[in-house]
Amino acid sequence: MKRFSVGFLVVCLSACGSGSDSDVAARLDESRADTLQVTDSASRIVSLSPAITEILFAIGAGDKVVGRTRWGDYPPEVTEIESVGDGMFPNVEAVASLQPDLVVFYQSTANAVAREQLRELNIPTASVRMDRLADVPEVARILGRLTGDSLQADSIAGAFETELARSMSARAGVQPHCSVAIVVWDNPPMVIGGGSFLTEIVELAGSWKVFGDVDAPSPQVSIEAIVERNPNRIMTLGIEGIPQYAERPEWQVVDAVRNSRFTAAVGSEFARPTLRALETARRLEELLGDCE
Amino acid sequence: MRWIGVVAVSLFALALGVSVGPADIAFASVLDALAGKGDAVEVAIVRNLRVPRALLAFLVGGSLAITGAALQALIRNPLAEPYLLGLSGGAGLGAVIAIAFNAGGVWSVPLAASIGALGAIVLVYRLALVTGGVLDTRVLLFAGVVVSAFSMAIMGAILAVAPAAELRNAMLWILGGFNRASWRTVSVFALYASIPLALFYWNNRSLDLISLGEEPAQFLGANVERLKRLLYILASVLTAAAVAVSGMIGFVGLVVPHAVRMVWGHTHQTLLPAAFLLGGTLLVIADSIARTLFSPTELPVGTVTALIGVPVFVVLVRRWAK
Repeated sequence: MKRFSVGFLVVCLSACGSGSDSDVAARLDESRADTLQVTDSASRIVSLSPAITEILFAIGAGDKVVGRTRWGDYPPEVTEIESVGDGMFPNVEAVASLQPDLVVFYQSTANAVAREQLRELNIPTASVRMDRLADVPEVARILGRLTGDSLQADSIAGAFETELARSMSARAGVQPHCSVAIVVWDNPPMVIGGGSFLTEIVELAGSWKVFGDVDAPSPQVSIEAIVERNPNRIMTLGIEGIPQYAERPEWQVVDAVRNSRFTAAVGSEFARPTLRALETARRLEELLGDCE
Repeated sequence: MRWIGVVAVSLFALALGVSVGPADIAFASVLDALAGKGDAVEVAIVRNLRVPRALLAFLVGGSLAITGAALQALIRNPLAEPYLLGLSGGAGLGAVIAIAFNAGGVWSVPLAASIGALGAIVLVYRLALVTGGVLDTRVLLFAGVVVSAFSMAIMGAILAVAPAAELRNAMLWILGGFNRASWRTVSVFALYASIPLALFYWNNRSLDLISLGEEPAQFLGANVERLKRLLYILASVLTAAAVAVSGMIGFVGLVVPHAVRMVWGHTHQTLLPAAFLLGGTLLVIADSIARTLFSPTELPVGTVTALIGVPVFVVLVRRWAK
């Protein structure tokens, strides 16, 4: 696969549409962030992804966010913002009723119709893709430009990139001490693959990413494929303790299951790529311990 | 002679299911592993994962094909298949409810699916008796479609309001697969399925009669009302069990009986066993492909059954038309 490291397409909105004179937040060449031109800054933003909301708060634009999805939970004050429901296939009326001057989408074909509808209402929209850690600082920069918080955004993005690069190079050449498979569902078995930021987190935590070679973010695999790759540990997401399938006879063939070597990753930082990623990786490293 | 061919194909499919998989194990090592010799991991993969999975796929495929054959005779509609009579909707609804409300226990999803399927069956059955205590197969068909649509509507509403991520997994579960295969699952299913399977075969002569139509069957001495109810109940409990162990695997129950009829003719004495063997064969081969084609990523087995079944069916239809 094709990593979408430069896969943001912030496309504008009313400016390229009807040519109306509504307050155009920003205009961006289809593929390159550096041609962004700010004409006016957004001050009433609806964020349709918890990851985007989190970045808006991190760059100091949190007070401009007037709408979030029902999944938004970080930083804690996000929960005080009005929810518009789901971020994918969003409720356009709920979004529009907040009278935003910018709506930021997670880039997906699921959202194409909603964007079109908002555009017809002369509400500017932007759409960003955030699947990998490298996307996070890029999105921070774009959002900084859209909200007029460029200075802080650029500095945070730069610092994150520097630290990420340092951690990555520190890990390069060091033999991973632990191999980790992230199993998110048991029937059918689904794991996290190389298309997800979680695989990068595992790598940053000094571990070997067992399904890192599979391009999809969450491929369905067979138990046999897990046995063959024989991970030291199985990481679970969002649930505490040992998952129920650990008792099933067919799962006993997996060493890590038979010996109850599970690591529970719970918390919003494991649910989406964030500027907290390096902290998250350190936490995971602690959770994995000596991998025994 | 034909029987030797069918049995040989079945055995080949089972051998294939045991020999291939995402773990690269040489054929000689597979044989060693079957005998319990060699690398411990390989022995575990072959004996505890591949063999039960191939057997379960075979049993489920055979059961679905026989059920489809019986329902096609009962309803006298070529589109009849195991999931037609409201089962798919009921099972899907049960599974979605179990996942949406986070019911505990590893068996909660399959059990909820079976309960949903049986609930739908009872509802459909009651509806089909509206015409005065007589099971009307036309109403049966219609009731199945309606109950399914109703279940799907409830399911849609739950999917819309419940937490999202795990429900995607519910949908994947519904698409079907054999990841639950273990020796325990295989033995429970084999024991359970043997009763309806035997009863279907026991009634093969009656199936011949009913497929002629209810009046001729009555004329020729069949107890039509009793027979219709029995067939419906057998089909239902067998399909509900298949749903519990493997989700809903389409296509096998629809097309395998037709294919067998084209080659073997309409006598259920031969149709039923042949459909069982070939349904099992199709599903084991489809599952082998599903596990290995994009290894380690696995395909939903239902997509593979259709992808290999449809071309085979087209060839058969062309030959039959000539």
